[in-house]
Amino acid sequence: MAPAEEAGGEFPVGMKVLVVDDDPTCLAVLKRMLLGCRYDATTCSQATRALTMLRENRRGFDVIISDVHMPDMDGFRLLELVGLEMDLPVIMMSADSRTDIVMKGIKHGACDYLIKPVRMEELKNIWQHVLRKKFNENKEHEHSGSLDDTDRTRPTNNDNEYASSVNDGADGSWKSQKKKRDKDEDDGELESGDPSTSKKPRVVWSVELHQQFVNAVNHLGIDKAVPKKILELMNVPGLTRENVASHLQKFRLYLKRIAQHHAGIANPFCPPGSSPNIGSLGGLDLQALAASGQIPPQTLAALQDELLGRPTNSLLLPGRDQTALRLSAVKGNKPHGEREIAFGQPIYKCQSNAYAAFPQSSPTVGGTFSAWSNKLGMADSTGTLGSMSNSQNSNIVLHELQQQPDAMLSGNLHSLDVKPSGIVMPSQSLNTFSASEGLSPNQNPLMLPSQSSGLLAAMPPSMKHEPVLATSQPSSSLLGGIDLVNQASTSQPLISTHGGNLPGLVNRNSNVLPSQGISTFQTENNPYLVSQNSVGVGSKQPHGVLKTENSDPLSRNYGYIGGGAPLMDSGLLSSQSKNTQFGLLQNQDDLTGSWSPLQNIDSYGNTIGLSHPGSSFQSSNVPLGKFPDQGRGKNHGFVGKGSCIPSRFAVDEIESPTNNLSHSIGSSGDIMSPDVFGFSGHM
Amino acid sequence: MKKSLFDQGYLDEQFCQVEDLQDEASPNFVEEVVTLFFKDSGRLMSNIEQALEKYPRDFNRWDAYMQQLKGSCCSIGASRMKNECMSFRDSCGQGNVEGCMRSFQKVKREHAVLRQKLESYFQLLRQAGPAGAATRPIM
Repeated sequence: MAPAEEAGGEFPVGMKVLVVDDDPTCLAVLKRMLLGCRYDATTCSQATRALTMLRENRRGFDVIISDVHMPDMDGFRLLELVGLEMDLPVIMMSADSRTDIVMKGIKHGACDYLIKPVRMEELKNIWQHVLRKKFNENKEHEHSGSLDDTDRTRPTNNDNEYASSVNDGADGSWKSQKKKRDKDEDDGELESGDPSTSKKPRVVWSVELHQQFVNAVNHLGIDKAVPKKILELMNVPGLTRENVASHLQKFRLYLKRIAQHHAGIANPFCPPGSSPNIGSLGGLDLQALAASGQIPPQTLAALQDELLGRPTNSLLLPGRDQTALRLSAVKGNKPHGEREIAFGQPIYKCQSNAYAAFPQSSPTVGGTFSAWSNKLGMADSTGTLGSMSNSQNSNIVLHELQQQPDAMLSGNLHSLDVKPSGIVMPSQSLNTFSASEGLSPNQNPLMLPSQSSGLLAAMPPSMKHEPVLATSQPSSSLLGGIDLVNQASTSQPLISTHGGNLPGLVNRNSNVLPSQGISTFQTENNPYLVSQNSVGVGSKQPHGVLKTENSDPLSRNYGYIGGGAPLMDSGLLSSQSKNTQFGLLQNQDDLTGSWSPLQNIDSYGNTIGLSHPGSSFQSSNVPLGKFPDQGRGKNHGFVGKGSCIPSRFAVDEIESPTNNLSHSIGSSGDIMSPDVFGFSGHM
Repeated sequence: MKKSLFDQGYLDEQFCQVEDLQDEASPNFVEEVVTLFFKDSGRLMSNIEQALEKYPRDFNRWDAYMQQLKGSCCSIGASRMKNECMSFRDSCGQGNVEGCMRSFQKVKREHAVLRQKLESYFQLLRQAGPAGAATRPIM
């Protein structure tokens, strides 16, 4: 039944609740209680299974109740993932009533925290969380800016009756809600739409879009990044400040987490210095990347993590891995693992779980890169890979990118229609290919990592062989590449590319690309397409490029490197199932260089967006972020054609010129490399 | 009998909540849940026992396992058992191995006692007949 029927009607009767707890006794009791409240309750004793269920059917539930201590996944992690991917209200529950644990729950975004044993009265009030969220979202839409106290006041609008009675019982709920809200800096929260009937358009944070976002944040500096400025920098039509604000909030949480995570993890890469924040991230390449000025390590890591969705453990490679992954992703974008990631960078190490997946292992690409790429590519689940590799890739990519000026990106990516500014958001996308490859050394690679690779790489197999991926078009900015892609692959835009041809298209999806993005490619050989899942043409594969099983994040396909890589398949980008597609492919306009990271190149190199002003994927030209040259100057991301992608892409020559990235997925060209996408066998 | 269970602190308010959930639609809900509890808690307890042996002084691990058991006890209102669980966790927090061992023995004992008492309780309910069982026994 429709989730929450507001106003009136039957709500909250029939509200769909998912309960996750490893304790069967508690599950049985809770279920009975929920049924007693006339909710529609589903129980699940494993967090991983719950996450799968949610991903498959995002609208199938209105609210989640989750235990804190679970053997297969930490409850807080589940909370984060659900919040990021599905944006559903999550209520934490535990016998543990320690204040610090409760605080942790709130900080991670829980709507409420119940202490066991849970009483019926408490359960009777949980519907307000659903309504509140919905209202808030609506509110965001309506008022573009001032959401501040929406929450509180909101519920009252509609249901005074509810509100009043509920308030009594709500005890903690308001507070927790409030806290959550207070946390936001910008009251914007909720960017994405409400699960139920709100008609607000939901912003899908595709890889590209996210990439742009990240670029903007990097450009401003994480501390100074305010939604308003970010919005301006991104320059995405249709995006509101609230969207950005809520996304920023999540991003910050993500970064924090990453930082904590990395802090504990020894970074192999730990580059010295790099921003203090990042430092915690763990040496990851991010740092390196950050150093390169590309993406602040932290951001990168964060992105990656986020993008990748932070897969449960496995993907999450400790800061390092992620970076590596990302880098790889960036670089090699390996469509799924195999590819591109050739970067070889150590990143694999990281979690390599995900990465290891990449089978391909980058043939030659820089070796290191390939490694990544492979990793990235493989990573299917490794969503993190994308990200991780990104970090690494970033480095690598950076190099590469630098070498090859965006040409790569532009060329390749573009073919796909995607012009993607390549939001190559790291995340998952390994797909995004290797955007790093093409991505200009500028940090984009980082950003892209994952995504770009995926994306670029994504180019799909369908594109197949087509040189499409603009690889050759070096300079032509991604668009060029994409064009190729388009033409060649005809398969077009990745977005739909089922086969993944267009990884680049990913961008298209970027905003929304229905999960296809990644998935689409995937089907094809796209190596990149990481998201194997994504292939689902159209199917939203949550996993963005990397099929990361795990984690969700992949959906983020950030990897989508710059527009071009349509291959990346929107799946990568868009499908990211998560909305994270940030990558809105930058509008190609911007792609050119100025913004690098997200821009065109999907951060990796493929300047996604870079060059093509219009080509961008899907949305083509989504004005993604006209980021001013981020510094990177070139396509951020790829700019250099694909240089990132180590030989792998080079293989393709087809794209060649810029190849750099063209092969690479999506990202400017490199990614597109046919191989990557499926052409030759991607790196 | 029920009253005595409450008076002696074996069960608490939560148990009443669980009983309230029983109705015509699920007439044996309480017994089912209790059975489920004992099965699961048996498993948890043997985990703890193993951990006590295999991982000496691994308080974090012990604590984590006990946390799970405690949560379970809470859900059905096994009050005394829950208290012993909490004291076990306190001992863990203090790094007191002896205290942990002692507490654990108490937990086991409470567990056995409770199981016995509830079994009798349900038997009584059954004897009271369908009519008796349908309504909350007042003891």
